Amino acid sequence: MRKVILLLLLLCFTAHTRGKLHSPPAKPGLTSCRSPEKETFTCWWKPGSDGGLPTTHALYYRKESSETVYECPDYHTAGENSCFFNKNDTSIWVNYNITVVATNALGRAFSDPVEIDVVYIVKPNPPEKVTVTVMEDKGWPFLRVSWEPPHKADTRSGWITLIYELRVKLEEEIDWEMHLAGQQKMFNIFSLRSGGKYLVEVRCKPDHGFWSEWSSTSYIKVPDYFHREKSTWILITVFSTFTFLILMWLLHMNRHNLKHCILPPVPGPKIKGFDKQLLKNGKSNQIFSALVVPDFPPATSSNYEDFQVEYLEVYVRREQELVLEESKDLHNSCLKSESSTSDCDSGRGSCDSHTLLMAKCREAKEGERQTDRECSIVSLEMSSGRVKTWPSVFSPLPRYSSSPLDQQRQSYWDLCLSSKQPHLLNPPTPVCRELQAHSDVNISSIGHKRAPAGPRSPALHTTEYVEVQRVDNKDTLLLQPVVQGCGRMGGCFQMPHGEVYSKVKGVDSDNVLLLQREGMGEDRCPCVEQETNEVTGSCHKSCTVSTTQKPSGCIYTAVPVRDEMATMANGYVDTATMCTLHTC
Amino acid sequence: MPGNIRSVSFAWMVLVYLLFCSRRASVGAAPICANAQAGCHVLSLANLFDRVIQHSARTHSISNDLHSEFEQYFLPSKNHIGRVSRNCHTSSILTPNGKDNAQRMAREELTEVILKLLVAWRDPLWHFHQNMAHHHDFNNFSSNKALEMSDMVHELRKGVEKVAEKMQVLGIISNTVSSLASPEASLPSDSAEWRLMKDYNLLSCFRRDSNKVQNYLKILKCRIVPEHGC
Repeated sequence: MRKVILLLLLLCFTAHTRGKLHSPPAKPGLTSCRSPEKETFTCWWKPGSDGGLPTTHALYYRKESSETVYECPDYHTAGENSCFFNKNDTSIWVNYNITVVATNALGRAFSDPVEIDVVYIVKPNPPEKVTVTVMEDKGWPFLRVSWEPPHKADTRSGWITLIYELRVKLEEEIDWEMHLAGQQKMFNIFSLRSGGKYLVEVRCKPDHGFWSEWSSTSYIKVPDYFHREKSTWILITVFSTFTFLILMWLLHMNRHNLKHCILPPVPGPKIKGFDKQLLKNGKSNQIFSALVVPDFPPATSSNYEDFQVEYLEVYVRREQELVLEESKDLHNSCLKSESSTSDCDSGRGSCDSHTLLMAKCREAKEGERQTDRECSIVSLEMSSGRVKTWPSVFSPLPRYSSSPLDQQRQSYWDLCLSSKQPHLLNPPTPVCRELQAHSDVNISSIGHKRAPAGPRSPALHTTEYVEVQRVDNKDTLLLQPVVQGCGRMGGCFQMPHGEVYSKVKGVDSDNVLLLQREGMGEDRCPCVEQETNEVTGSCHKSCTVSTTQKPSGCIYTAVPVRDEMATMANGYVDTATMCTLHTC
Repeated sequence: MPGNIRSVSFAWMVLVYLLFCSRRASVGAAPICANAQAGCHVLSLANLFDRVIQHSARTHSISNDLHSEFEQYFLPSKNHIGRVSRNCHTSSILTPNGKDNAQRMAREELTEVILKLLVAWRDPLWHFHQNMAHHHDFNNFSSNKALEMSDMVHELRKGVEKVAEKMQVLGIISNTVSSLASPEASLPSDSAEWRLMKDYNLLSCFRRDSNKVQNYLKILKCRIVPEHGC
């Protein structure tokens, strides 16, 4: 009895426990339904938990307008948990109401119903027979991809219309390049990399449906065409290199010309027949001797009447280093106030003047000597003293030696020269002495006949002017002393005899002062036009002198080049403030 | 004298009238150039088919857009539970539901089916558009689409008629196809909810029918002029 009760209890217990482990199946779910060609379709479901008991699934469907429930005709063709509807069972443009039922020993479970219309669940198979070939278009390759629609999809009858898409990439790349091909079954791909390996895939889609899977990858290798392009570039590079080298070589050969063209050289001072190096390095003896020109003064008679200019004022410019190494004080005295008078005549005036006239217009003279020029100025460039030019027109000293006439006279130079030679002639003043000495030098430089190389000591007892008789060839001035009565000519600087002033008639151009002769109203002093080349400092002096009778007293007014303004006092023009004419 | 004038003027008038009449007659005589006459641009059948198919594709596309808009807007539940089983007013028209059926159908029959469908939808679409315009539940975009849809169906029908005419002229189909009287579907005035449901149903029905039309046209084209894009 007890055993029976125990057995019953045990049975009940086991039954109870077993019941707890098993349960009716969970609700299955329809995952998807797809049709590959719009003629058949397949539905897949996912079963829920089976509750521990063997569970069966069944699919039931109902068509749109009828109430008849059908069961899935084919559970196996499409695999597990699927239902395949063949052509006979498929109706297009008809709504299907599909349900899956899971059944086990303990119960059933119904899935949620799904309504589908086959037209909208079409997902075709991928395109087939994808072929990729390399073709050439005018030497440039391109890929031609062609394919066939999936064999199941009936595009020929127009039942289904497919559009295609392909993607391309290089083997080593990550991103694909997509191309939509529309309804055509062929596509060209351009702009290929030479020697690259390409991967091509194609897929398709009906006009209202889902994209198919990508077709299997096709590989293609593009042949090398780059070398042709490269050879052209190599040719171009070589050619241009050659051209460049030739150009460089030509430039190198002509670099002097180019340099002259671009940066024209500043002409240096030149004296014909004179060695510049002497000035730099040589002694003063050598310099002076070098300055001697053998055939001066010219032996031929002078055209006295041709000369129209009587005086030539030479002025030392203030900033010219009149300072010699040893005669600084002289320099200072020389540059003293111009108002002071002394034994020096106009030369003294020039002494006190600011500027020293120095220009030598040799070249200009040559052409115009016939027309009565006489400003031949020798410019000396001493290395240290910066002695600029002075018109070596006054050549009393050389004259001295050459013509006996001169020896008697005292000619005086309106020269204030800074000379290296301190030893002088005996001038009335130390200054004049200086001048004379230097004029000595100058005279010799212009090629006077007798070359007073060394210092001379002409007796300058009186102050005299010399007048230029003629300008000979090549910077030779023929001078002659002026008679004492030069006061007849206006504008004759006779400081000790009285004060002679010259009036400024007017200013011509920038640099020309027109002076007026006193006492001769109608006569006008010739104008001296000097064009100074500011850039190079060379001067081109063209003296046009008109004379009526004797050489009239006309004062050459050298063109004031720069800032030195003529001081006007009582109409007296300090012509010393004139030119700083550099040697030509 | 006056009698002469009157007779002359009368003759003139007759002449003028005849002239005008003949001209008008000549204009309306041949809408399609059967042969390549001078000054008449002949459209090939394939060309006509292409145009019509493009038209139908556009119609279907618009109806699809409207339908999905409706679905989003007014019927959020995608389960389709509780949806009234579709009962389109065109279900009375027998249409082939499969490829075999469609291919087995004669050309004339198929053409007639197409025309029937198009005719059947002319008025319902018009009413649908009117409803949309009057009720501001829908935005202007949808309203414009509905109008466009309605117009397109109208154009499509004319186009298919032209195609049918051409086919008859070319002897491809017999002359049994005739312009049909449109079966008026009664549209009862309803409450708001029902109207909404009706609209949704209408759109679903039309979406399907436009798809049918497009498909049938393609089948026809590939059967009659298969050389172009089939």
